[in-house]
Amino acid sequence: MSAGLDSGVLGLEAARELDERYLMRTYRRAPVDFVRGEGALLWDAEGNEYLDFLSGLSVSSVGHCHPAVVAAVREQAERLLHVSNLFYTEPMARLARRLSESSLGGRVFFANSGTEANECAIKIARKHAHRRGVEAPEIVSFEGDFHGRSYGALAATPAMARNEALGPMLPGFRAVPFDDAEALRAAVGPSTAAVLIEPIQGEAGVNPLSEEALLAARQACDEVGALLILDEVQTGVGRTGSLWAYQQTPVRPDLITSAKALGGGLPIGACIAGPEAAEVLEPGDHGSTFAGAPLAAAAAEAVLDVVDDPALLRRVRELGTQLRQELAGIPAVAETRGRGLMIGLTLAPGIDAAAVGADLLRRGLVVNVPAPDRLRLLPPLVVEPSQVERAVGLIREAL
Amino acid sequence: MSSSDRPFSARPIASSTAERVAKIVEAAERAASAVIDDAEAQARLYLQEAQAEADRRVAQRLASLNDLSDSLIAQADAIRRQSDRLLASLEEEGAATPPPPPPVQPQPSAPESAPAEAPPAPRLSAVEAPAPVAEPPVAPAPEPVAAPPEPEPARAKEEAGDDQPSPAAARLLATQMAVSGASREEIEKRLRTGFGIEDTAAILDAILGPEG
Repeated sequence: MSAGLDSGVLGLEAARELDERYLMRTYRRAPVDFVRGEGALLWDAEGNEYLDFLSGLSVSSVGHCHPAVVAAVREQAERLLHVSNLFYTEPMARLARRLSESSLGGRVFFANSGTEANECAIKIARKHAHRRGVEAPEIVSFEGDFHGRSYGALAATPAMARNEALGPMLPGFRAVPFDDAEALRAAVGPSTAAVLIEPIQGEAGVNPLSEEALLAARQACDEVGALLILDEVQTGVGRTGSLWAYQQTPVRPDLITSAKALGGGLPIGACIAGPEAAEVLEPGDHGSTFAGAPLAAAAAEAVLDVVDDPALLRRVRELGTQLRQELAGIPAVAETRGRGLMIGLTLAPGIDAAAVGADLLRRGLVVNVPAPDRLRLLPPLVVEPSQVERAVGLIREAL
Repeated sequence: MSSSDRPFSARPIASSTAERVAKIVEAAERAASAVIDDAEAQARLYLQEAQAEADRRVAQRLASLNDLSDSLIAQADAIRRQSDRLLASLEEEGAATPPPPPPVQPQPSAPESAPAEAPPAPRLSAVEAPAPVAEPPVAPAPEPVAAPPEPEPARAKEEAGDDQPSPAAARLLATQMAVSGASREEIEKRLRTGFGIEDTAAILDAILGPEG
């Protein structure tokens, strides 16, 4: 029997040995070997229980192993796993209708991740610009944005695009200071293909974009005929208390990209276009072997069944407000930011967030440390109020 | 027994036997008839009950189908109304002249050169600079800059005549929040805090219908 069939048998040390021997060194992992999850809870190989306020980087938004998702995956796995995009498959078609009708009303391109969804959006933007007669189209983003790690998305991710060891980068990308409406207006011109931004920056530590900057982006795009693309990979699928974050803003984008929580743990991404951008790509322009395959699409349908529920979304808004208020009452917390259950904390000067994160993990709370002075909380949307209380208590103790 | 007696005595016996047989047959027939009547009555009863049950179930199904149809129609209607309002809001925005370019500081070699002539047709011009938000905190008193481009008649009328020119951005925000399931109170709060709109009733009523 392959050892990998039951990681619980392996244990942390054996898993770490295999990891270090056979995996490329692209991650620094925390010293935990998770083997089981249910709702907002995780258990490691030694049977220790953890409260998960990271949700696998905002993926497990409906909680770990949600019964509806498990049932959908099981049922679909017994029926059909893959046939490629050369044929029609019903889960994908149904999911596309649902995504379109719940947002911009146009068409959907499926991908396997947020990065790929953004690649599709970049491709649409460039082709759209060429149709306008733009020879060298440019994409404008904010400093601190994170759009992915493949070369197109990487080039739109200013902090990482400066890594010369990975160069040369794709040309045609420009960054302006975060939330600077004037700088954005100035950067958008006739050669701009799109403004590609996150409504709330995730990887940078949860930085909500001001309405002024969003409005400036929309207005600037309208003036030159560029597309406004909102990267909702992290903010979408209910994370901020509405199905899509833009629905709580005075702006309607031309494209949104989604992934992470959409698959409930299975890899899927989607580039969702409004009516105009929907007609840009033609046969042969773009494609993906696995994208929108029945298994991931069935899981995503089940996820939307759970999340696209006004009562759940209201609960996300209420719990988020409660969580932020309680965290703001902790003296060592200098600032809280975010919307819904996407929350960033800046710790008081002198407090090492990495040490706090490690301490919280030892105490049984999983959080993310996106910056030396910041914690990021992304609990499952189905988290119980008592679990929120418990998490606040643990953070208070750790600080 | 004498031979003369036999006929005399045999007749009554025969007749009484025949009578008894006849009575027995008659009784049996009556009993059979009663059984048949009973059976028929019972069958009629069963039929009536089955008919009544069938009628009841049909009526029940019809009622629930009616309820379902009503609910579906109501939902479809609500969605249609929301879509209409969203479209109207977007169209209204699309028809509106883009607001004047903001007073950007002098740009040495800004590539933007042609805001004046024939800007590309705005597609999803979903926003206009809302009054309170758009006032940029630009520092050193730039004189009231070039007057905004002459407003189109319809727009000028709207700006001049309306009691509360609810900014399109505020309407779009309210519409999107409504579509995404936010409550009237939540939307109202956002309109007040985000746009400084004190009297939110007009926007809310237009999108959600009058408060009942």
